[in-house]
Amino acid sequence: MTTKPCALIIEDDPKLNQIITLTLQTDFDLESCVDGNTAMDLLGNFVPQIVILDLNIPGVSGREILTHIRSDKRLWRTRVIVTTADNRQAEILQNEVDIVLLKPVSPMQLRELALRISSMQ
Amino acid sequence: MPYHFTLSMIPLALSVLVSGALALYTWQNRRAIGATPFALMMLMLYEWEICYIFQLAGTDAVTKVFWDKLMFLGVVATPVAWLAFALEYTRRKTWINPRRLAMLSIIPAFTILLLLTNDLHHLFWAKAALSSEGGFLHLDNINGPWFWVHTIYSYTLIMVGLVLIVRALLRWPAQYRGQMTWILLATVTPFVANIIFIFRIIPILIDVTPFAFTLTGLGLAFALFHHRLLDLAPIARDIVIDGMKDGMIVLDANQRIVDINRAAQQMIGLSSEPVPIGKPLADVLSAWPNLIERYHNVLETKDEISFGEGETRRWYELNLSALLDENNSLIGQVATVRNISDRKQAESQLLESEARFRQIVENASDVIYRVDSHGYVIYANPATMRILGYGSEKDVVGRHYLELVAPQARHKVKRAYEHQFVSKTPNTYHELPIIAADGSETWLGQNVQLIYEGDRIIGFQALARDITAIKQAHDALRLARDQALEANLAKTRLLSKVSHELRTPLGGILGYAELLQRDTFGQLNEKQQKAASEIIDSTEYLANMVNELLDEAQLRSSTTTLHERVFSPSTLIQQAISGIDILAQNKGLEFSSYIDPNLPQGIYGDDQRIRQIIINLTGNALKFTKEGSVHLTVTCHNENYWGIQVTDTGIGIPKEAQDAIFEPFQQVHSEVTRDNRGIGLGLSIAKQLIELMNGKIVLESEPGRGSTFTVLLPIRAVG
Repeated sequence: MTTKPCALIIEDDPKLNQIITLTLQTDFDLESCVDGNTAMDLLGNFVPQIVILDLNIPGVSGREILTHIRSDKRLWRTRVIVTTADNRQAEILQNEVDIVLLKPVSPMQLRELALRISSMQ
Repeated sequence: MPYHFTLSMIPLALSVLVSGALALYTWQNRRAIGATPFALMMLMLYEWEICYIFQLAGTDAVTKVFWDKLMFLGVVATPVAWLAFALEYTRRKTWINPRRLAMLSIIPAFTILLLLTNDLHHLFWAKAALSSEGGFLHLDNINGPWFWVHTIYSYTLIMVGLVLIVRALLRWPAQYRGQMTWILLATVTPFVANIIFIFRIIPILIDVTPFAFTLTGLGLAFALFHHRLLDLAPIARDIVIDGMKDGMIVLDANQRIVDINRAAQQMIGLSSEPVPIGKPLADVLSAWPNLIERYHNVLETKDEISFGEGETRRWYELNLSALLDENNSLIGQVATVRNISDRKQAESQLLESEARFRQIVENASDVIYRVDSHGYVIYANPATMRILGYGSEKDVVGRHYLELVAPQARHKVKRAYEHQFVSKTPNTYHELPIIAADGSETWLGQNVQLIYEGDRIIGFQALARDITAIKQAHDALRLARDQALEANLAKTRLLSKVSHELRTPLGGILGYAELLQRDTFGQLNEKQQKAASEIIDSTEYLANMVNELLDEAQLRSSTTTLHERVFSPSTLIQQAISGIDILAQNKGLEFSSYIDPNLPQGIYGDDQRIRQIIINLTGNALKFTKEGSVHLTVTCHNENYWGIQVTDTGIGIPKEAQDAIFEPFQQVHSEVTRDNRGIGLGLSIAKQLIELMNGKIVLESEPGRGSTFTVLLPIRAVG
């Protein structure tokens, strides 16, 4: 049995968090959280292949987490998929992260994209 | 011929020497006026005197008679030369010509002839006799009739010359009077001497006439050469005084005319008459009794006088000055008269034009005022008082302009005009609140110009208009605009918030529906599958609508920014139309596309937004086409623009609706809309994005024949 890639889900809305978890659980080893502070703790303990990041979260903001991932050498191979309900933020981040998805996110599309970028490494 | 010279002849000899020297000297300086005839006269005199001395010295009758006859050559010629001199000296040289000289010489020549032949007829001397008196032998002839003819003729010539010279002397300026007296005395001397001799008034033995003439010659030579000024001054006077445009009249203490120049004569109207020297002024100016009366007792004045009326009115400036001698007693007056009609006319035109401008300023309905360089009002027109509600000019003139400005604006206004003053800005426009007489605020919109005197700024002039009403309307308008802007911004914020808040639950709906469909929560039957699909469709439609609403809101509030980069237009088009094929097939429509190979490889722009435009236009075409085709052409329009053209065979858009379809929430065909859900934002967003990119969109359409949308976007090709 091959090891599944690790994914970290950072989404404060519990329903969306559950949808993403259900979508990705068969293909990824998952960690999930609903606030920024927990996310930072988790990122200190393990190196996920993919981070599904909601920008609008309590605690440490999505942008700060993004900056942290980009500056932490351990996480240099970590890919980030940003989900946001703000199309202006989506436009701004277009060139900074691997993938930006504007909500509502289609679970099937998300799974496909996550698989595609995790297999690219 | 025996002679006996005595010591008593020495003065006579001296006189001979003087005459000779004068003749010689004058001849050498013959360029002086009258010098040539004068030299001739002195030469004749010289001959006369020499012969006379020899006659006196002769000791027998024959000797004496010989010299006496020879002497007469000088005697007869001297008066002729004298007259010639007088004529030339008094500027009558033109009168002298050979013919006239010959005529003048007839009698003298005849005299000489008779003298030489006297022994035959005794017409000149009736009897020649010698007498001895005091041991002194002298001729004692008894004069014949021709002697008297000769004498009278000679006297006539001398008299005429004398009168000419005296008249000329009388016209000389007063300062030459002293010399004039001497010349007169010198001229008269020989007459006196000759009369004494001929009529034996004093019993003297010798004729002193020629020697008296020598004195005359001395006096005249002195005048001729030493006071050459006398020759020049009259000429200068003639040129200057007579050449003057101004009239000049010199009066003596009795108001008689001493001198008058040509201009003055012309002004009086006497140009053709003889010079009125010596006449009383009152006689000459008899046509203007008022003038005489007015200035009769006036010694000095400067006045302007006029003659005539209306168009022919002439103006003169009269300048009257008293002439005083060294004892300050009045000896006369000088009047100069200058024609100032042209100046007066210019002055009156100036006055007229000033009055005209004043009238404009005074009747203006706008405020017009002037301030000096310190800011004090020096003039304000009636409109100023009326608009500001002041009673009279005194309430405004003399005050500092800042006093009239509302206190809260003073600082700003002061700074603005100080800046204009320092920077020498010729013209400014400012709007400022003024405190009216009743304390209310009146707004003035004023143009202010700098006033210069040479290079120096001496003040400001302002032309201002009461703009209180305009200002109030303007303020109201601005308030309304601000409110509208504020409302618009609030609307944008609301839309943005709503869109944002809608997306999160949509995520839940879409997510769970898809999970259901994928049997994540257990196997679904066919009906349940279909229901899940319906949920997904509706959610996607709703999500699309939220996106459009947000785009529209952002474009409307001008908060959309373009994210420009270099992209490949052909790649972009391929991506954009990848989903359209399937959509067209599903509707049974034909979809084709053409990409111009000449398109630049890289274009600078917002590719995401351009893609959005293409999707909107093609989506729109598919939506409104029931059968036929949709065609997309991408071309290089010209070197500055590239074009995207979408043509369909759809229902078309009527002319009157063609502008409206670019407005948000507009859809033309309600029956089509029923089948095709949408809120009508696609074209509006596309148009606004195109305009944001400095491009343009053109629609050509006919109902039933389809539509063509042509988009032109500027090419910013990359090297």
